[in-house]
Amino acid sequence: MEEKQVAAVDATKISVSVNENIQTIYRSNGLGKLLGSIAFALCTFTGWAQQTDTSYKQRVLEASEIDVLFSYYNQDGTHAAVTGGEGTEDLTDATSSLVLRMPMNEDDILTVDVGLSAYTSASSSNINPLDGGNNVTPFDASSGESRSDVLAYINPSYQHSSGDRNSIWSANAYLSSEFDYFSIGFGGSYTRLFNEKNTELTLSGRVFLDKWNAVYPVELRNGFFDNRISGNGTYNPNFSEFDKENRNSYTLSLSFSQILSKKLQGVLSVDFVSQNGLLSTPFQRVYFSDQEDFFIDDFQLADDVEHLPDSRLKIPLGGRLNYYLNDLVVLRTYYRFYWDDWGITSHTASLEVPLKVSEKFTLYPTYRYYTQTAADYFYPKEEALSTFEFYTSDYDLSKYDSHQYGLGIQYKDIFTSAKVFNFGLKTVDLRFSQYDRSDGLNAFIITLGTTFVGN
Amino acid sequence: MGKLVFLFLLLAFSSSCVAVREYDKVYLNDAEMQLGAKTCERFETNFHIYREASSGANGGKTGGGCGCN
Repeated sequence: MEEKQVAAVDATKISVSVNENIQTIYRSNGLGKLLGSIAFALCTFTGWAQQTDTSYKQRVLEASEIDVLFSYYNQDGTHAAVTGGEGTEDLTDATSSLVLRMPMNEDDILTVDVGLSAYTSASSSNINPLDGGNNVTPFDASSGESRSDVLAYINPSYQHSSGDRNSIWSANAYLSSEFDYFSIGFGGSYTRLFNEKNTELTLSGRVFLDKWNAVYPVELRNGFFDNRISGNGTYNPNFSEFDKENRNSYTLSLSFSQILSKKLQGVLSVDFVSQNGLLSTPFQRVYFSDQEDFFIDDFQLADDVEHLPDSRLKIPLGGRLNYYLNDLVVLRTYYRFYWDDWGITSHTASLEVPLKVSEKFTLYPTYRYYTQTAADYFYPKEEALSTFEFYTSDYDLSKYDSHQYGLGIQYKDIFTSAKVFNFGLKTVDLRFSQYDRSDGLNAFIITLGTTFVGN
Repeated sequence: MGKLVFLFLLLAFSSSCVAVREYDKVYLNDAEMQLGAKTCERFETNFHIYREASSGANGGKTGGGCGCN
């Protein structure tokens, strides 16, 4: 309770934790500043701005923080888009991220978010299923180079708060690269707080300028020949490569949050997303019902790859409502309605109930429900006609619903007594979620997150 | 949809009649009461963006920066 009373004095809403308020008092002498600077110098990134003004001013972030995050994801199913809606969807992904937040002065924060994501995928390995192995089938992985890939990204952002903490500006950039996809993005936001900081309005925008390095199914590439092909006639698909390989995304977001009582607050958000360019995935096969079927062993050769419109408008509208039931239980709810001009509407609802089982440990049981309609261009295998303008057999665009169940546990030490290289351990989060989709896709994800605070 | 509009109106109008003072924000300042998604939820959000046709309005990306939708 003592910690909460300290926190109540804090006027800022920019993630200033209770622990940081305590540290402010502790760090008000010169030795504290010196130790803080030394600790920060040990970090890879530097940039601590010394406070020269002797008058007290609450910093938006008292000390540098580092989040170290790791996740392991696994899925399996039988509707791989790479093999035209029929084939293994086995995929494993391991991702590591490092998020560094640095106070540049009393008002500004620099955040650098870097990460690596490595995956192995049985379905994408079947871009080229002819790896010289045994019987070729869409339900087995190939050992080709498309079996695995690594995505690397960096996402720096800079945030400035006004002296009265009623205005917040931010700017960000994004850069990512993987074997067949490159992305560069930038954006900014403006937040205004008023009504004694009970009301908050945020306007933000973001642009992504992405580029495919298109990879096509092996049998559709120029010069393909294999004497094992079986079927009536000659395999000669009517296929042509995509002319353009760019994909641009423009997002405008509006957010309105409101304190409704001493224990209840909510937020409404709406995004307007416009995309254009190559929105199809070049290696996702399609099989037409009005074309002859050709095989190599049990693997059916593509009639074409998916063709989707070169523009898309998406409008998600979401809301959160959080209620502090008592000192043991908090209710966190979320709902989103989504619409796009490809014919998809969806509803998402989730509930998380943090249970504070002790001063240091909190449990997080979670449940999420999701349902969507199919895109206008979705057809199961062998149901599209070659005369159609647009078609895909990607079951991510089909009609389905899903249930996700999860449980997390958080360890929190507000005094950061455990140290690693002069950084105190603030929190450890461990989460597990199971995801079951009505079309047979099943997945689970394990996430481990730790937060360290500079001393 | 009607309920969502009602909720929006409720939030909008309530802004003029409720003003919780800073010293009364003890519960609202609790870490579990933050309105954004938590940092450790980002990976779940990412796989939802890959595996589901919809995205956005939750603090995650909305269609750029990866080969997903």
